[in-house]
Amino acid sequence: MDERIRDAFASIHAEEELKESTRAVLEQARTRRRRPARALAAAVACLVLLVVGIGGYQFYFTPTSVLSIDINPSLELGVNRFDKVVSVQSYNEDGQILADTLELKYLDYRDALEELLASPDIADRLAQGALLSITVAGENETQCGRLLAGAEACTAGQENVHCRHGDSEKLEQAHHAGLSLGKYEAFLELQALDPTVTTDDVAGLTMRQIRDWIASLERGGTTVGESQTGHGHHYGWHE
Amino acid sequence: MRDEAETNRAIERYGDTVRRLCMIHLKNEADTQDIFQAVFLKYLLHDRPFESQEHEKAWFIRVTINACKDLLKSVFRSRTVPLEELSAQIAHLPDQHREVLGAVLELPQRERQVVYLHYYEGYTAPEIGQLLGKNVNTIYTNLARARERLRERLGGEDYG
Repeated sequence: MDERIRDAFASIHAEEELKESTRAVLEQARTRRRRPARALAAAVACLVLLVVGIGGYQFYFTPTSVLSIDINPSLELGVNRFDKVVSVQSYNEDGQILADTLELKYLDYRDALEELLASPDIADRLAQGALLSITVAGENETQCGRLLAGAEACTAGQENVHCRHGDSEKLEQAHHAGLSLGKYEAFLELQALDPTVTTDDVAGLTMRQIRDWIASLERGGTTVGESQTGHGHHYGWHE
Repeated sequence: MRDEAETNRAIERYGDTVRRLCMIHLKNEADTQDIFQAVFLKYLLHDRPFESQEHEKAWFIRVTINACKDLLKSVFRSRTVPLEELSAQIAHLPDQHREVLGAVLELPQRERQVVYLHYYEGYTAPEIGQLLGKNVNTIYTNLARARERLRERLGGEDYG
């Protein structure tokens, strides 16, 4: 019986087909095992690129300072850490038109300022005695100092241009009020003299008009009674 | 991971053993193919060296039996294997082999394993006990019962 059992078992063999399919499965498994390493490496590489890309993008495209340019067109140029203009924000219609006609993005801020000053719109207004205010604000004092010096150098020949250092903390408040920083700071000066003045009152005014208003208030041209008629001032500046 | 030459050699050397163990445990070709492939996949990924060829063979036997048991334990499968399905696997064999294997397949699973390991692979009861992780007395009992049943079924004239 032992021999019969042995012989019977010996007659069972793994079929060629079965061995062949198994070899194929093993080969598949080998390539699949190799692939995850490659896929992982590729995924890691993509991730690194993405992080570097996003980081680089943010590093380059995040404005570190703003140049608020106000005449009546109000523009704010966002300047990155390399002193390049990376954003142009307009705060009124005139500003929008100006922003649309000029290609200021990615220019060095000095080139952008020169282009702005040379644009017919601004040049005409300056010739007519309008006031151009350039306000520099940012977290980085060194850069602000550099930008201010650069802006002053660019506008050295213009007597109606005033360059000043702005307060970066007011930037957000200014944007909340819908004003550019330069105009907002002028508004604050005005409001200190006449608490009834609102941001709406100054939104449509040119810098010259605001400055003149401030000057008239400083001369003592206001009383408590007059200060309550803010609109009176407003209309006055349009005449 | 083992290379192609190694796995091809193993398939040639142990393929028949794995196939026979599948036959005594499983009821159909599809399950046999699954287990056969699973065992060699395990071998592909088994990086530790074997002490000897005997050690390697014992590894294949243990892994195959465990894989078969796991498959049979699956809740989706019935635990009992209908005889006619088992017989289908050996239908193509010559009469004398079919009769013997038919008798073996009628045994309870634990006896089938022991019969195969003892009669075909030539393991002693203590070796089988070690291989299957069972008490050697249990193996002796299984072997004795299996012998008894087979003798009844096949006639004991050759037994001795």
